[in-house]
Amino acid sequence: MAKTLSRRDFLKIGGVAAGSAAALAALKNVMSAKASTEIKTAAEEKIVASTCHLCSAGCGILVRVADGKAVKLEGNPMHPVNQGSLCPKGQAAPELLYNPDRLIGPMKRDRASGQLTQIQWAEAIQQVAEKLNSLRDAGHPEQAVLMHGDTRGQMRSFLARFMEAVGSPNVVSHESLNVAAAKLGTYLTQGIYGLPAYDLENANYVISFGANLLEAGPNPQRTISGYTYLRRGRATRGKVVVIDPRQSITASKADEWIPIKPGTDAALALGMANVIIKSGLVDADFVKNYCFGFDNFTSKGDHKGFRDFVLDNYDPAKVEQITGIPATTIARLAGEFAGNGPAVAMLPGKGGLLNGGFSGVYTAMAVHILNALVGSIESKGGVMTQHYMPCADYPKLPSDSVATAGLKTNRLDGAGTKFPLGRNSYQSIADQILEGASVEALFLYDANPAFETPGGKRFTEAFKKVPFVVSFSSFMDESAELADLILPEPTFLERWGDDHIEGFGYPGISIYQPVIEPLYDTMNTGDFFLKVAESMGGTVAKAFAWKSYEEVLQFRLKDIGADWELLKELGVWFNPGYRFAKRGSQHWIDNIVGSERMNAPRDGYFDLYSRELNCFLGEMKKEELAKLGISQTGDGANMPHYEPTTFMGDKKKYPFMLNVVTLMSLGPRSDAANMPTLQEISGMTVRETWDSWLEMNPQSAAKLGLVENDQVKIESPFGRISTKVKLVAGLHPDVVNLPFNQGHTAVGRFAKGRGVNGLEILNPASEPLTGLASFTNTRVKVSK
Amino acid sequence: MTDWCMVIDLEKCVACQGCSIACRFENNTPAVSPQESKNGRAIRWNDVFPLPLHIAPDQGEYPNVKTHYITRPCMHCKNAPCVKVCPVQATFTDEEGIVHQNYNRCIGCRFCTVACPYGVRYFNWFEPKWEETLAEYRNPDQLSVNGSLEGPAVRPTGVVEKCTYCVHRLVKAREQAKVEGRDFRPDEYVPACVQTCTGKARFFGDLDDPDSTVSQLSKSLRAIHLLEDSGAHPKTLYLAEG
Repeated sequence: MAKTLSRRDFLKIGGVAAGSAAALAALKNVMSAKASTEIKTAAEEKIVASTCHLCSAGCGILVRVADGKAVKLEGNPMHPVNQGSLCPKGQAAPELLYNPDRLIGPMKRDRASGQLTQIQWAEAIQQVAEKLNSLRDAGHPEQAVLMHGDTRGQMRSFLARFMEAVGSPNVVSHESLNVAAAKLGTYLTQGIYGLPAYDLENANYVISFGANLLEAGPNPQRTISGYTYLRRGRATRGKVVVIDPRQSITASKADEWIPIKPGTDAALALGMANVIIKSGLVDADFVKNYCFGFDNFTSKGDHKGFRDFVLDNYDPAKVEQITGIPATTIARLAGEFAGNGPAVAMLPGKGGLLNGGFSGVYTAMAVHILNALVGSIESKGGVMTQHYMPCADYPKLPSDSVATAGLKTNRLDGAGTKFPLGRNSYQSIADQILEGASVEALFLYDANPAFETPGGKRFTEAFKKVPFVVSFSSFMDESAELADLILPEPTFLERWGDDHIEGFGYPGISIYQPVIEPLYDTMNTGDFFLKVAESMGGTVAKAFAWKSYEEVLQFRLKDIGADWELLKELGVWFNPGYRFAKRGSQHWIDNIVGSERMNAPRDGYFDLYSRELNCFLGEMKKEELAKLGISQTGDGANMPHYEPTTFMGDKKKYPFMLNVVTLMSLGPRSDAANMPTLQEISGMTVRETWDSWLEMNPQSAAKLGLVENDQVKIESPFGRISTKVKLVAGLHPDVVNLPFNQGHTAVGRFAKGRGVNGLEILNPASEPLTGLASFTNTRVKVSK
Repeated sequence: MTDWCMVIDLEKCVACQGCSIACRFENNTPAVSPQESKNGRAIRWNDVFPLPLHIAPDQGEYPNVKTHYITRPCMHCKNAPCVKVCPVQATFTDEEGIVHQNYNRCIGCRFCTVACPYGVRYFNWFEPKWEETLAEYRNPDQLSVNGSLEGPAVRPTGVVEKCTYCVHRLVKAREQAKVEGRDFRPDEYVPACVQTCTGKARFFGDLDDPDSTVSQLSKSLRAIHLLEDSGAHPKTLYLAEG
């Protein structure tokens, strides 16, 4: 077939004909790549599907194993979260696997001398079993406590079951450090304790209240995929607005960045609600028929509803005074949000500004209610509810009087008692121990509380009071350094495990499998506890009849629809396609709205006036509420409202709010700080490397006479640290940012002694109602 | 003739640096020591950085500021200045438009690093070093052209190295097609950075095929080249934000 000359070819020929002498010279250097190209590669290669464990997204991975070595990770195209992509943490994972500072076998530490001795696994198993049995014999199994980090998939329920069989209610998740505020906000309104999934692919308008979609949310890769699809993947482009005092990468990529006075997000959300209601832009069907408390109502007296409460209190002019955002902007945002649906208001998980006291939970409620007002709950382009794969129920635990008695005791972290609304209060464990609570055995799984909590040094003292501390960390981190037994778990590339696929509403499972044989004498903690159970004998042994943790997974996942071999081959299995529940249907009542409420009615009504909160606060007097940091009384206390943050540190002496931010590169996990590549790229935004820095507005810096790279002292009422200053124009003048995951004093050669840990000088107190850690209510002074 | 080309949509790029690190692990460029890194001697063939590098006084004041980020692989110029200045033909453009770097021929004169308008040629000041067990994860692929090493093969000290559009992956894909007794299709090969891109911002393919994605995107009104006036005829395309 004769080829016609295209315009492109024509131009090319023209280009060559008119080419300069230089171009000809270049042509001379053209060589044939085909002439004698030769490629040598490994003798044996395979690709193994697994799951990444370096942040809470849990992306699917395909690992290239060449001659028995894991050399490269790629994203698993089958996995809905990352769809073949992988972030720098996942890409750098071989540095975790082959890290020279990994622990190579079980060890025990002599407390007096600090001397470490290598031991055998059998000895470790025996010691732990004996300890737990002695606690059970003494009738105090609750004195065994397990703290865990981002433990996902079946491991969480497995560990909980183990502790339940032993007889301790004390399994404490680290969520009070990050996602619990957002979960509580959803719980107190929608009645579901969990992070909402957002249908970004179909949303037309997205407003993020401090949610770092592109860097370090609870599921960054899922929000990145959603964001880029919404922006450039489909015919009509959606708009993204970011509310944040800091111009994060997310904010700089968004259509609009609205800097806000820190801690005032609730006022903005309610100001928007005010305009939406006033302008008649609410989804009338939803608020009238599926919401509780929009209008005033009568129940044992007259009560004010959300509408009047917001109309009376959150006029945009007043909100402007609080937030520093012009009233016209607030009105415009409200109009855009309500008028350009489907619209969704996103809550931050990690890295947000929610954790400044109970005001943070009110903020989460206010933001989530914006979705309800425009009918974006359980609708296309709005909020979805996360469903999970049906896992086979564990066999019923054998009856055991010791365990039953132990499980009836109050939780050590005060969840449900000292913190009536809290589910976990990770950081307060240190306070409880220091205040004299008796803890006889403490297990740290995937947890490094001595580093990752505000005022984490308290754990150093607390651990001294616990006679038996066990760490399962793969590295000698700050907490493992204080443990009596160090029982390293293999890295995620060498062990069995699984993870729930989250972020799309529909259920899915992604598994971890050993892509290579474990490099060192390590043991999967699941296998370890199985062996401990066996060694303990009695009812605990009966509760754990499996031979290996892999068997536990096979048992739990037997009903998901894929057999084990297929699951191993694909790495993932999910039921794609989210079906939105019909408003008011049985499915709606059973799974979507209100079904997890513990006190208030599970009637399928979305609470604009929180009846659940009323169960806790309804009877309280003004003084009692004030003690909890709540200035409103009566109906106001049950509805989201703006509470001025009670900052630690006087504004005159400590003019800046310290915001400790999580980066895409270093992420949330301590072991990632010991990966040299991540250290190298950590400071990309400010051209810094292998160090920490303090971000500051240039004008604020100028007032203090500071220039870029000056070494500065950062002082809060809780301590002082020192690092260099970087000038960042996109930052509220009253806020300074410090990246998280530097300032390690342990972990390994690459992490140790790099920069400072901002959490050291944060307020160590726990919020009195929920037990949440306080991340954003500490003020600091910055000086040369 | 195939003309390999990369297109990067800066609107979809979220500056995560996944590309940078995928490249590192594919092409054996290890992390350097903190001090060398501070001195700017870390080698990442595809770097990600804020643009402009430093805050200019005229860039606006809070809150009217906007930070931009860019990711920068080799542009694989059609009129590559680096090729022209190389006295020993260690760097050359192949028939399919990929600018190669041959380590055996390179004499380390660094003419090319100066000539390159984009700063994407990296001189190997030190022997690449993987501390202890870290050496285990090196990519075992060894590409040689005309008997001398290229691509991911571990470099000796004193040579210049650069992005090759992961040419060894191309060679492997072609061999695979041959083994399976079929024709090679251009969509069987993408560089590591394209494969990993979290925002799906990177596209790769044959610019000579009018139906390929990169050809289609090259016609976009947003399509730009970096330093268009450099005369180098850069090939890697960007789709501008906006």
